[in-house]
Amino acid sequence: MERMNDLLEKYFRGETSLTEEAELKHYFVSNENIRAEHEAYRALFVAFDQEKQDTSDIPFSKVLQQQHKVKRFWIRTFSYSGIAAVLVLALWIQRPQQEKDYAIMHGRRIDDPEYAQKYAEKKMNDVNEMIQNGLKPLRNMEAIKENLRTADKNGILKHEILESDKNNNINN
Amino acid sequence: MDSKQFNTQILSLSDRLFRLAKSILRNAEAAQDAVQDLNMKLWEKRSALEEVENVPAFMLRSMRNLCLDNIRQKREEDELPVELEFSEPNPHQQVEQKDLVARIRSMIDDLPELQRTIIRMRDVEGMELSEIAYVTSLTENAVSVNLSRARQKIRQKIIYEQKRVEETVWKG
Repeated sequence: MERMNDLLEKYFRGETSLTEEAELKHYFVSNENIRAEHEAYRALFVAFDQEKQDTSDIPFSKVLQQQHKVKRFWIRTFSYSGIAAVLVLALWIQRPQQEKDYAIMHGRRIDDPEYAQKYAEKKMNDVNEMIQNGLKPLRNMEAIKENLRTADKNGILKHEILESDKNNNINN
Repeated sequence: MDSKQFNTQILSLSDRLFRLAKSILRNAEAAQDAVQDLNMKLWEKRSALEEVENVPAFMLRSMRNLCLDNIRQKREEDELPVELEFSEPNPHQQVEQKDLVARIRSMIDDLPELQRTIIRMRDVEGMELSEIAYVTSLTENAVSVNLSRARQKIRQKIIYEQKRVEETVWKG
């Protein structure tokens, strides 16, 4: 028992080896009949022994499941992001094509580009014709102006002839 | 490192990590979370683990650092001191801790973080002083001094507790 006392003193000074500590633990935990003076320390070694039984409630499978959950989360996130990106891209590519392929005429949607082009050309010709017809009165005005200019010219000649006659009479 | 190797080498240490985290955080639930957190972090960096020489010691060191970070973070959030000093147990605790073994576990919890971590690594986990020195980033001598102080404090508390019980019985 002297040995146990010495070991205990050494233990509390922090000088015991792991082997000596194992001996102490065996004495206090497994021995039913320990000395009364040692009884107070029994609870200390029992406490250490109990703590050794404390186990984590996390099963390995749960941790792995958690890891896979995180992995799955990223896979899903990347997949959904990818799908969304493809959809946005598809819409973006499709949008200008749709704008190019149809025209609104008199509030009606024309999807056939050939038809739309012919329709536009016809309308342009109509407009051209209208302009040409509109210019006809102006051309008449030009003709009148020309006639007036000719008439005016005749007037000048008449005036010159009269002046010439007047001069001749004076000289005579 | 694949999931099978990770299971064998890392997750098999979960119980030891849990006990260490519980000792530092003094809360089983928070300890579970911390262990899961560490496992997740190590899973993400599992390739780097292959270069670690002593994986268990490295894991315990990482666990302690993570727990201390959690305490620091909690303290910043709640503005609480790092170490909550426990003196006399309140009536509720007294009812809960009738058992001397439970009282001793509580006494260990009342020690400063470094001392309770060291005493548990030595007396519960049976670790060598050199391993504890690595985990705590201290010298072996400093570990020995802290171990001795922790054991002395527990001894004094046990003696005080014994006297208190004897006085109660005497008065009763």
